Amino acid sequence: MTRAPLPSLISTLKIIQINDISASYDSKSLVLDHVNLSIDRGTNYAIVGPSGSGKSTLLKLMNGMMIPSSGTIKIDYVAPNMKDKKFKKMMHTIGYIPQNLGLVKNITVLENVLIGSLPRLNKIQSFFKRFPEDEITEAKKIIKQVGLSGKEERKSYMLSGGEKRRVAIARAFMQKPTILLADEIVSELDRATAKEIMNLIADAQKRINLTAIMIHHDMKLALEYANRVAVIKGGHKILEIGVEGDTIVDFQTGDMTTEEIMSMYSDDSEK
Amino acid sequence: MTPKNNIIIGVVVALLVAASYNVEANPIEFAEGLPNLGIVLEELLLVEPKHVPVALWAMFETVQMAFIGTAVGIAIALPLSLLAARNLNSKYVYAPIRALLAAIRTFPSILWAILFVIMVGLGPFAGVLAIIMYTVGFVAKLQYEVIETIDADPMDAASSIGVSKWQLIRYVVIPESASHLLGQVLYMFDYNLRQTSILGLVGAGGIGFYIINYIKFFEYGKAAIFMIVVLITVLIVDWTSVKIRDKYIVKSQHGMEVTAKLN
Repeated sequence: MTRAPLPSLISTLKIIQINDISASYDSKSLVLDHVNLSIDRGTNYAIVGPSGSGKSTLLKLMNGMMIPSSGTIKIDYVAPNMKDKKFKKMMHTIGYIPQNLGLVKNITVLENVLIGSLPRLNKIQSFFKRFPEDEITEAKKIIKQVGLSGKEERKSYMLSGGEKRRVAIARAFMQKPTILLADEIVSELDRATAKEIMNLIADAQKRINLTAIMIHHDMKLALEYANRVAVIKGGHKILEIGVEGDTIVDFQTGDMTTEEIMSMYSDDSEK
Repeated sequence: MTPKNNIIIGVVVALLVAASYNVEANPIEFAEGLPNLGIVLEELLLVEPKHVPVALWAMFETVQMAFIGTAVGIAIALPLSLLAARNLNSKYVYAPIRALLAAIRTFPSILWAILFVIMVGLGPFAGVLAIIMYTVGFVAKLQYEVIETIDADPMDAASSIGVSKWQLIRYVVIPESASHLLGQVLYMFDYNLRQTSILGLVGAGGIGFYIINYIKFFEYGKAAIFMIVVLITVLIVDWTSVKIRDKYIVKSQHGMEVTAKLN
């Protein structure tokens, strides 16, 4: 008689579960107001919404830089909190790219990418800046993947906007990530460059089972690359849709039509 | 000109006259004293050339004192600046360090020199110690202010990877704040050189020691030779640091400007 194997918690489909969370910076006004989200492993999940709607806060809750004032958020069944030891270990494999990318200006591309491997270094190695050979090889491989080969020794302030984004993505890839959180990293780029960057992430998602949660300004771009799109406005999730190819396959909440959603963002999309 | 401005100017002028009277600052005496400089010039021409190598040697000693003082002072200041930065430490760490640094800064270097002459006796070592103290107080302050104004974004990005605090300092804080350090090193060396030149007045070594002694014995010509050596050296150091600044600091800022346009 064979028994079905016990379900492993880690292999469950949902990697992020957000249950009725509210968050605020000053305990007076809520930036997020009772939001629910759940994200499947391997999805490209887009969050779209006007500025000040609470999108960035949502990412900061996911990487533990903020904790919610009410409600629960779980990443692989652990509540994100930077000060929590268990979650701090998980942070090693959660890539986070802030809106301004967070590159260290005065060091080279290679050094910026190697920052992603710091948690794997021991104290002595990190004190003397002695990165193991295999980490350097890995970093160079990733730099090549993101299309920056030959620029390893370039100081990062000398790069163009598109190149800087590639470095930030390479740094996140260096973390061997399971989750990638990216805050409007393609918003300021022209459409062609934005698509190149998005393709890099899409490729990585195919290669490793990466879950990407990306904030977008451009609804069109979000619909093009994401499996699911959540629209956040004034701290509320007003809509969530599932996308397969060119068709919207699932309407979760809200009562807006596709045209209405598109028109909300069409002014910004034609850059 | 509003009436209010007139009143302010009137008050300032009145204070100026009253204060000048109190300290016996008399412009007429200044004008009458000008020809006395002629005596110095006359004596300068009478000084035997054998004093020039002595002056150069004394200046070399002064430069070395300033060099040691600046280098050691900065080496002590940098770790302190990391501890004094509000964005890296809790209040219980940065508050006492800041208080200590503020206390160090209240003394001008000449007072430190007097203190160290009492401690270790006359001579250049007392001067070096004074320069170290002064450098620690100022560079640590300048540097913790730089650290506090570095971009929060790279710090956020790195700490969200879960790096240790030491790694954060080593790989983000130091590289981000280092570009300002070169400017501060140059400024501090420049400043310390001038300071060291006068520390001899209180017996703490350097070229100032010769100058004060010649003046005491009314040997204005010799004193002038030594002062001219100081002047020339300071000009050379000034010129060199401008060149270094142009090469490294201005260039990198220019680089940032160019990339800012690309964004």
